[in-house]
Amino acid sequence: MVVASIALSVAAGSVQAQTRSETLRYVTGASVNTLDPNIPGSTREAFAVSLSTYDRLVSFGRKQLNGKWVFDLGKITGELAESYEVSPDGLKMTFRLRKDAKFQDGTPVTAEDVKWSLDRVVTAPVLGKAQLLTGSMTSADQFKVIDPLTIEVTLPKPDKLALPNLATVYPIIFNSKVAKAHATADDPWALAWLKENTAGSGAYKIESFKPGEQVIMARNEAWTRGTPDKSASFKRIIVQSVPEPATRANLVERGDADLVIDLQASDVQSLEAKGKLKVISTPQYNAVTFISMNNQIPPFDNVNVRRAVAFALPYDDMFKAALFGRGSPLFGATWADGKPSSGAYPIPQPVKLDLEKAKEYLKAAGMSDGFSTTFSFNVGQASTAEPMAALVKESLAKIGIKVDIQKLPDAQMSTQINEKKLPFFTEGIVAWLPSTDYFYRNFYTGNQRWNYSSINNPELVEIAQKARFEPDAAKYEEDGIKLNAIHFTEIPQIPLWQPSQDAVMASSVEGYTYQFHRQVDYRDLNRK
Amino acid sequence: MAALGATVIRAGRRFLSSLPALFGVLVFTFLLMRVLPGDPAVFFASGPNAGKEEIEVIRKQMGLNKPVPEQLMLYLYDVGSGNLGRSMMTGQLVTKDLRERLPASLELTFTALLIALVSAVPLGVLAALRPGSIIDHGVRFVCALGVCVPTFVSGLLLIYVFYYLLGLAPDPTGRIDIFASLPPRRTGFLLFDFLLAGDFDGWWAAFRQLILPALSMALFVVAPLARITRASMLVSLGSDFVRTARSVGLPWWRVVVTYALRNAILPVITIAGIVFSTMLGANVLVEKVFSWPGVASYALDALLSSDYAPVQGFVLLMATVFVIVNLLVDILYGIADPRVTIG
Repeated sequence: MVVASIALSVAAGSVQAQTRSETLRYVTGASVNTLDPNIPGSTREAFAVSLSTYDRLVSFGRKQLNGKWVFDLGKITGELAESYEVSPDGLKMTFRLRKDAKFQDGTPVTAEDVKWSLDRVVTAPVLGKAQLLTGSMTSADQFKVIDPLTIEVTLPKPDKLALPNLATVYPIIFNSKVAKAHATADDPWALAWLKENTAGSGAYKIESFKPGEQVIMARNEAWTRGTPDKSASFKRIIVQSVPEPATRANLVERGDADLVIDLQASDVQSLEAKGKLKVISTPQYNAVTFISMNNQIPPFDNVNVRRAVAFALPYDDMFKAALFGRGSPLFGATWADGKPSSGAYPIPQPVKLDLEKAKEYLKAAGMSDGFSTTFSFNVGQASTAEPMAALVKESLAKIGIKVDIQKLPDAQMSTQINEKKLPFFTEGIVAWLPSTDYFYRNFYTGNQRWNYSSINNPELVEIAQKARFEPDAAKYEEDGIKLNAIHFTEIPQIPLWQPSQDAVMASSVEGYTYQFHRQVDYRDLNRK
Repeated sequence: MAALGATVIRAGRRFLSSLPALFGVLVFTFLLMRVLPGDPAVFFASGPNAGKEEIEVIRKQMGLNKPVPEQLMLYLYDVGSGNLGRSMMTGQLVTKDLRERLPASLELTFTALLIALVSAVPLGVLAALRPGSIIDHGVRFVCALGVCVPTFVSGLLLIYVFYYLLGLAPDPTGRIDIFASLPPRRTGFLLFDFLLAGDFDGWWAAFRQLILPALSMALFVVAPLARITRASMLVSLGSDFVRTARSVGLPWWRVVVTYALRNAILPVITIAGIVFSTMLGANVLVEKVFSWPGVASYALDALLSSDYAPVQGFVLLMATVFVIVNLLVDILYGIADPRVTIG
C-alpha cells in the first residue's frame, strides 16, 4: 500500500512537472467574486483577474524604486491604443487603436467598442463612475468616435488625472457586440452577464471560474500587446483562495505554489531568512496606515488633545510589533525650521514618543487628568492592529488617557466609520493615482466616508481643489507644502507608516512589479 | 413489509410536524440578521471611491431599501418558491452555492464520523471491559488529548508533520489536486463520482486529500463517543442478561458483542446523531485550515461581511439537516431495539 502510494505520487509528479513549469499557481487569502471589476462589492483579487482578461486603452509603465520594480504614474503607454496625443490646451485626448487588436472571439477591436465601454463606466451604476469623476470624465458626450480606429475624449478643463484614470482597472474595453447581445431591458449594460462571463481582448481567457474558490485562466495566443515581441509568458494561471496564512506559507515554501503576496509578516521574515525563495518587499508607496481621531467629537475636537496623542505613541515599538519593521515609517522626521520637507504625500512627520511634551499639550487642553476613550480596529486587520492597540493603550495610560480596545467585525467597522461614530481608530488608505491633491481631496475634505478624521478646514479644501488643476509643477509643489503644513498643525490624524507589500515567490519566477491596485499583474511574470 | 410501510408513514408525519419549527428558524434568523450591527451595503461598497451613491445601489440590489416587514414577506415568498436569494460575496444564487458546497461538507463529515466511530467504539468497549486498568486510563488520556486540542491546532499540526515535514500528504488545499481533472458530477461526492467514472487514480487522489481534514475532525469527537460507549457498556455488562449469558457458558466475544454491545449502542447512536449535526456546522475551522470548499466556511465568510442571504440559507439548511438526522436516529433506534417505535 505504502509502496504503491509512493510509486503513484512519483508517477503523478513527473506528469505534472511539464504542465507546472508553464503554469503559475498564485494563492491568496481573498477571493475573486466577479469577472467584471465594475460590479459593486468586487474584491481586489477580481481586479487582477480582470486586467489579465481585458485590455485598457493605456497602462502604466514601470520604474525602479530602490532596486525594485514599481508602476510608474508618470509614464503612460498604449495598451489597446497604438498611440495617443493630448492637445496643447489639454482639453482633447485622441487615441489611435492598434490595427491588429482582436477580441478573444476573433473580431477586431473598434472605436465603437471603446466608446460603448467608456459610456458604460460613466453611465451604468458601477464603481468606475466615481473613479472617472476624479479625472473629469462624467458623461457619454465626452467620448466621440472619429473613425473605426480613432476615438477622442474631450474634457471640460485640463485635468492631470484624466489620462491616468484610463489606466485604472475600471475603464476596461469590452466587446460591445457580445455584451449587447446579453443586455436586457432592465440591464442595458449587461452587468449581470459580464459578472460571470468575459468579453475582452486580454492576454488570458477564463477557463473556469468558481467564485470564492479559484479561477483558472489560459493564455490567449493571439494577444500581441504588453511586451512587443511575444504574448504573455505563462500558459496557464491558477488563482486559488487559501484562507489560512500558515498554509499559504507552507505551499510556497514546498514549491507547490509559485507566488503569494499576503502572508503574515512573521512568516515572510522566516521565509526570507531561510533564503530558498525570492522575497520582494516593496513599500506600498500609494498607501498609508494611520491612527485617526474624530475631529468633531470631544475631546478630539481639541487640537491640543490630538497633539498630546501624537507625542504619546510608542512609534518604534508599534512598527516592530505590527509589521516586524517591514515598511517605511512616517514618524521621527526632523523638519528644518519646522517646515515640511516636501510637497509630496505622505511624508514622514516630525513626531516621536515624548511623554513630557504630551503631558504639556494635555495640560494646554485643560485635561491634565486625562480622559477615557475607545480605540477601534477591524477584525480583518487584527494581526497588525491588535499588538499595536495594546501598545497604544499602555502608552496613553502613562499620560492619564484610559483606552478601551474595541475589535469590530469588518462590516460593523465600515458602518460606524461611515456614520462618523468612532472617536479613535486605526485604518489604512490607498490611492491608485497617488498625487498630493488627490490624497487631500479624497481623505481630508467633505462629509464623506473617506474623510476618516471628519476634518473641516476651509483653507485646506481651497488649496486642494486649486492644486488639482495647477499646471505649473513648482506652484503645485508649493501647494503641497502648504497642505502638509496645515496637516501637521491640525494633526487630524497621525500617519504611521507605509506597509511593505511582501511578494514571496519561487526563485524561478521573474518580472514581479508592484502595481497600483496592490495585486499581481500576471502578464508581468515569467519563469526563467 | 407492513412494519416498514408504517415506519415510512410515521417518519413522514414526523417530518411534517417539524415544519413549524423550520418556519420559526427562518423568521428568527431573518430578524436576527437585521438587528445585528453592521450595514452590508456599506461593507460591500468599500472599494476606493465608493460613495453614498454606490451604497444606495447595493442597498437596492439587496432589497434593503424596503421596510423590514415587507422584506420578510418577500423573503418568505422567495423561500416558498425555492429561491434563497443571491450572495453578494460570490455573486451566485445561494441555492447554487449551497448545492455545490454541501456535498463537500457532507463527504468530509461522514468520513470523519466514520473514522471517529470505528476508533471510538472499540476504545470505549476496551475501557469498559477493564475499568480502572491501565487500558482504561490510556483511553481516557487519548480522549482528553483529542478533546482539548482545538481542531484548527490539530489540523495545522497534521499539515506540518505530514505535508510540510514528511511530504506524505498532498498539498492541503481543496478537495482534489488543483492540476487534476474532476469526474463528471453525479452525486457531488468526489469519492462516489470517481468510482462511477471508473477513475481509480482520481479516487485515490481525492481520498488522500480527504484523510487529513477528516482525521483532525475525528480527533475532536472521539472523546464523547468513546466515553458514552464506555459508560453504557459498563451498565450493560453489569446487567442480569449478561450475567446469565456468561453463566450459560457462551463465548466471551459473543457475550460482549451480541448481548452487551447491542444493548449499549442506543445512546451511542443518539450521540453520534448530535455529533454529526454539530460537526457539519462546526467544522468551519477545519474547512478554513484545509481550504475545503464547504458550507460552514461559506457561512462564516458571509456572516463576517453581513451578507444576509447566505447566512439565512445556511441556517435553514442546518435546521433541515438537524431534523433529518433526528429522524434517522429514531429509525436506527427501531432497528437496534425493535421495542422502540417512532411516534
